[in-house]
Amino acid sequence: MQVAAPARGERPVEWADILQRAAIAVVAVGVLAQAYVVIEARPQDIPGGIAGILDILRRGIPPDLTVLRDSIKAALVTLDVAIIGTSVPIVISLPLAFLAAENVTPSRLAYTAARTVIAVCRIVPDVVWALLFVAAVGLGPFAATLGLAVHSIGILGRLYAEAIEDVNMASIDALSVIGANRVQIAAHAVLPSVLPTMTGLTLYRMDTNVRSSLVLGFVGGGGLGFGIETALNLFQYQRLLTYLLVMGVLIAAVESVAVALRRRIH
Amino acid sequence: MLLVENLTKVYPNGRRALDSVSLGAGEGDLTAILGANGSGKTTLVRCIVGLIRPTAGSIKIGGEDWSRLRGRRLREKRRGVGVVFQNASLVPRRSALANVAIGCLGRQRGLVTYAGRFPDVERRLALECLERVGLADVASQRADTLSGGQAQRVAIARALLQRPTFLLADEPVASLDPDATAEVMTLLRDLARRERLAVVCVLHQLEVAREFADRIVGLRAGRVVMDDRADRVDLERLTALYRDESSAEAA
Repeated sequence: MQVAAPARGERPVEWADILQRAAIAVVAVGVLAQAYVVIEARPQDIPGGIAGILDILRRGIPPDLTVLRDSIKAALVTLDVAIIGTSVPIVISLPLAFLAAENVTPSRLAYTAARTVIAVCRIVPDVVWALLFVAAVGLGPFAATLGLAVHSIGILGRLYAEAIEDVNMASIDALSVIGANRVQIAAHAVLPSVLPTMTGLTLYRMDTNVRSSLVLGFVGGGGLGFGIETALNLFQYQRLLTYLLVMGVLIAAVESVAVALRRRIH
Repeated sequence: MLLVENLTKVYPNGRRALDSVSLGAGEGDLTAILGANGSGKTTLVRCIVGLIRPTAGSIKIGGEDWSRLRGRRLREKRRGVGVVFQNASLVPRRSALANVAIGCLGRQRGLVTYAGRFPDVERRLALECLERVGLADVASQRADTLSGGQAQRVAIARALLQRPTFLLADEPVASLDPDATAEVMTLLRDLARRERLAVVCVLHQLEVAREFADRIVGLRAGRVVMDDRADRVDLERLTALYRDESSAEAA
């Protein structure tokens, strides 16, 4: 802080300033303290808890490989929920982003409408969307996919729009002076400039969506999450370990593919 | 061919940016427009390309008065004017050839162009335009790998693909080093002479104008105060153009 404001040292000490800082510190400590109480923190339980987890894992050895087939099938469900839950949003967020980017939007009305749709999709968490869709289409991967897709429309729409707003305006202006129309400007100047950024953002989203898809399994979305929950509830620790190992492989595989692809873009 | 007659522009705030400006740019000539900041250069350029409407006077391009045109007709006409900006304003990640081919988008409205591609015939014409600016060998190179001078020449090639009646360059060398400046200005002069194009070039640097232009038009406070063959204009007269302006503003 002293580095950021070298001029401050030249001024006389101001009591109002000191009081204000003290007040901020008191408030901050207060917020942390109430949170500590509200979450019912019991640090003394942690060592015992770790022992409990290790115990579960120990009882899982050797993993029950008779469920390997099932767990791989479940992993495929989890992966496919993420694949559809990411690809469908790409198609929908892209046009939305063109409306929601300040520099290329055709009208104020379209801008506000697109921004609102994106905000609503994004603000509601994917788990809540998924629960709503469970009520609408029933339990299973489809509800999870819909929940993931709607939330991802919000996330990708906003990131795409920001990427478009960063495009060099000079090239867009040059095209409009030439007489190119809106679609041509989008296809020839905007998209070629933002495609690498958008691909990177989408791959990152795909990566996070695999993990979200896993969580959605716990709320009735099927797949690995469901398998893990069932094994845990039935105390089948050897099956649980198989599921956990498959989960580890899936997440590591998706992440390394995404990282490798992102590296190739630039 | 460009003929500007008695062009006046009064902005809504009452500022008289152009006061009865008349000038002509003939085929085969490189005409430089010089003037200090606030002399009306930018307003003049914006009027000529139809971005703002003059208060009075006429702008004739190829014999037709543009200042009366509106909407769609004006947009159609504007396609026939090649404009080169201070910054080449190329799409950085596309090839030089694609950046030139962009010049066809005003006349090509097909679905091909909506998919981010170009009709084959335009790609061939684009390559010809690149040859005309001497850059056929960098056709497949990405625009962000070109030097400043090369980028500006690609921008000129893009303007050429519009099959312009005349070429308007708005401070095309303002952000270039001396070598690149010479490269770009030589090209503009050659295009004027070799291809009988009317080239109008707004410039900041007096020496550049004197070295490359055929004619020099000096603007001061919205009026034409000089309009002469470049070889008859000495540096002293040009410097006076700027000095008078600053003292007039200070007064």
